Amino acid sequence: MTASTSDVVLEVDGLHRQFGGLTALRDVSFSVRRQEVVGLIGPNGAGKSTMFEVISGNISPSSGRVEFYGEDITSIPPYRRRRSGLCRTFQKIRLFNALTVEQNIAVAAQQCVADGRWKEEVVSVLEKLRLTAQAKKFPHEITLPDRKKVEIGRAIAGHCRLLMLDESLSGLTRDEADEIVEEILALNRAGLTIIVVEHVMPVVMAMAQRLIVLQHGSLIADGPPAQVAADPVVIEAYLGGKHRPAP
Amino acid sequence: MARVPRGNNWLREHATGTWLILLVLFVASVPLLPFGNNYVIAIVVRALLFIALGQAWNVIAGIGGQMSLGHGVFFGIGAYATGLLFNDLGLTPWIGAWAAAVLAAFVALIIGIITFRLRGIYFALATVVISLAFEKLSRYYSAFTGGDTGLAIHFRGTAPAVMQWREPQAFLWITLVVVVVYFLITRWLLKGDFGLSLQAVRDDEEAAASAGVNVYRTKILAFLLSAVMTSLAGTLYLQFYSSIDPGSAFGLSQAIQIQLPALIGGLATAGGPVIGGVIMIVLSEVTNIVSGKMDWPGVDVLAYGLVLLFIVFKAPQGVIGLITSRRPPRKAPDSMATKGVQ
Repeated sequence: MTASTSDVVLEVDGLHRQFGGLTALRDVSFSVRRQEVVGLIGPNGAGKSTMFEVISGNISPSSGRVEFYGEDITSIPPYRRRRSGLCRTFQKIRLFNALTVEQNIAVAAQQCVADGRWKEEVVSVLEKLRLTAQAKKFPHEITLPDRKKVEIGRAIAGHCRLLMLDESLSGLTRDEADEIVEEILALNRAGLTIIVVEHVMPVVMAMAQRLIVLQHGSLIADGPPAQVAADPVVIEAYLGGKHRPAP
Repeated sequence: MARVPRGNNWLREHATGTWLILLVLFVASVPLLPFGNNYVIAIVVRALLFIALGQAWNVIAGIGGQMSLGHGVFFGIGAYATGLLFNDLGLTPWIGAWAAAVLAAFVALIIGIITFRLRGIYFALATVVISLAFEKLSRYYSAFTGGDTGLAIHFRGTAPAVMQWREPQAFLWITLVVVVVYFLITRWLLKGDFGLSLQAVRDDEEAAASAGVNVYRTKILAFLLSAVMTSLAGTLYLQFYSSIDPGSAFGLSQAIQIQLPALIGGLATAGGPVIGGVIMIVLSEVTNIVSGKMDWPGVDVLAYGLVLLFIVFKAPQGVIGLITSRRPPRKAPDSMATKGVQ
């Protein structure tokens, strides 16, 4: 697959992360293009969450670099990455529990809407995610799917160009997951580039245009879902087998 | 540790304003009441000073979630700096208070830069150590601070130009104005743009950063505001009592006293420190009378301890949290979506 440089939203180049004796990421490189939905998958402990944390800036890489729209953001703090449009949710929902739904979204909108019209942005996000009726409620007063949507709303409020979703469907029923998937795909159709980490494989296969597979911190596959699903190395990684990355 | 109230807080939104109006009316009427002698007025001033200190601490601990145990530093700076500027240079406390507040802000900046890399209990421990260090320093440099005996301001009788009066009534109005202003600052923080970021930082620093909030800067700014508010209350304390010593300025007991109004009344609420301060003083006076009449020395300390234990076990969200958890909301405030954006 080829793409012009201007199409590249995120470029991860030779990322390596060591935690003491444990190698969480091993020289991982990939890029994400504009308006793609990329699935980041792999067995438990593959390094997906570490990759998310490094890209969002909560963990520094031991070596390697991260570029966002051509700018090296490797040493930029998380809040500045967010303001430049690199947005994320968390594996375990982390809302501001003493703030209402609209205040949760307003926190991000205040920081990330450049012209000061953040209240309009909050209203727009609430409507987009069909959360208007929940606006004045607190996180503990709404359902799990709505809490997931609030976290997505907080992530996209204001200036968002790349949305990274960390297991946003976990704990949901099939119908609830379908609703969230529809919201996510609608955001993608509206122009947003998306990276998803997800364990619900049928959903990832349906959502993603491309899959990146990690195992033991190494990238073992990168391609269209059908191609990746048929890759013997990936099958071995999920089902267990002889394949192990070089130490 | 007391928790921040959450949920549909009708009382948080509206009734705390009513509490404040009632407090203002009560305080304003004290001199007119049959029992409104200087002793009673002095008790009310003491209550207002505690409320102001609680309000100041509530900014960083309640709304900002940073459990500072070293606010005695800023209280002591407010008192000592104002007193020294007046005694040694003749600078009126009306100006000296602001000079002390600037110094407190500078010290808060230094402390914040050092300690805000730490979280939770480590931050709290660091602030305790700094506070105790200030206590030792103020005892050691006795030629400058008066040492163990403390600092007494040169009393000139009733002299409004240097914030001195023989009668306590003027302090009633000054401390009342301070409490009202601090209340409004707290309301602004609970509803305003900066306060929203501050509350987000309190709830989850990493999530706040992922929402675009500069966590470090937000904590520092809140700490500076809280330090300035504490310092100004320290100035009023000195002017009212005319003296201060290292223990009552920087000591651990003072640091705890500063926290009690917000902890008892309710953290992260505008009305919490007001209610908590009133409860503290009423409790203190009643137990003082009982201990005097019944010859039970130390019963006031015991009562304080029992109240704190009650809060920890029965009302971890303070009195306001206790009330709101049992009272359904009367009316949900309009949302941005339903009332239209401004």
